[in-house]
Amino acid sequence: MTEELTFEAMALPLFEPLYNYARWLARDADEAEDLVQETYLKAFRGFGSFTAGTNFRAWIYRILRNTFLTSRSGLRGAPQISIDEDPDRYEGLAEAATPETIFFSRANAEALREAIEALPLPFREVILLSDVESFSYKEIAEMLSIPIGTVTSRLLRARAKVREALRGSK
Amino acid sequence: MTRDLTAEEVERYADGELPPDALPEIEAHLRDCSRCANAVLAVMQMKRAVRAAMPRFAPRRPLVLGKRSPRSLVWLAAAALVIIAVGGEMLVLSRNTSARELADLHSTILAGANPIDVVSTDRHTVKPWFEGRVPFAVNVPDLSATPFRLIGGRVVFWHGRPGAYLLVSKGAHKISLFVFESLPSLGNTPQMTIDEWRASGLTYVAVGDVPREDLEALRRAYGNP
Repeated sequence: MTEELTFEAMALPLFEPLYNYARWLARDADEAEDLVQETYLKAFRGFGSFTAGTNFRAWIYRILRNTFLTSRSGLRGAPQISIDEDPDRYEGLAEAATPETIFFSRANAEALREAIEALPLPFREVILLSDVESFSYKEIAEMLSIPIGTVTSRLLRARAKVREALRGSK
Repeated sequence: MTRDLTAEEVERYADGELPPDALPEIEAHLRDCSRCANAVLAVMQMKRAVRAAMPRFAPRRPLVLGKRSPRSLVWLAAAALVIIAVGGEMLVLSRNTSARELADLHSTILAGANPIDVVSTDRHTVKPWFEGRVPFAVNVPDLSATPFRLIGGRVVFWHGRPGAYLLVSKGAHKISLFVFESLPSLGNTPQMTIDEWRASGLTYVAVGDVPREDLEALRRAYGNP
């Protein structure tokens, strides 16, 4: 028999990852703290609407993200450009990756970080959610309220952009 | 499979997002096709590089959920209890080195990015959290009418013994409360003497296996009648 998990039991272990993600979104320590605080508050109030058995982590990340998007800097950073939800499919491998693809070393970690930071939010966040937070496509789709196919194509384009930027920086 | 993988398949393969039944065919192709294998490798490398390149930000202060307000501090510990108050001066409680070590542990913990593992002002959360983590029941009294506020707790090991660590604040001051089943270096007397006083906004609790008069003398030595 399973004991029903309390809000605190589920939410508190996520404090640090949520803060980390908030920092990436807000790019500011104070704002990230406010974001997390507000997220917890909202999540706590809305806990009744959380369906037990579904993905709590994705649920609370979504709250964080929505909180950010409606915050001042979130609105300021909202993409004015269209990000083409359904981009032309890449045919075959295109030049996405070649054997002499960028060699990732410590030396260009800085360039890599800059490239990611420079990405528009929709691309930046899929890379962070997938590669840094290790969310599955399904979880990301849930969080961003987009179809899984869009997660795939956004990730594809985000990584292509990073590669492009790294080539440019060489 | 004779055709090359699509860029999307490369991506999904590297992300572990392809359905399991698609894998044998894809993997067979990857063994034969260096072009596709390189493409997959490139994405995997990039994922790894991204994870390594992105610093993880740690919160500067612990999360405080809800607000509790203050009364007097009456902590009960399993057998031994040491409180170290910081902010201005630090009181080293005992004549032996144990208190110094605990004081150092206190400073070390507070200097860390994440001093506590269970963040809660709610004793009903903190108390059960320790169950199964330390070999005794951790008493977490209701502080709601005290000037102290529970911030959270963690497990500490000291001299190879597991202990409960509770972080309490009083205003801007942080107080560490260590609870151990026994503190060999502080003496093994079943009955500990505890003396408590306040001075300059700090709460001092002296703990030791010494007669009460000794602790009272110590208190006077600190200028508190």
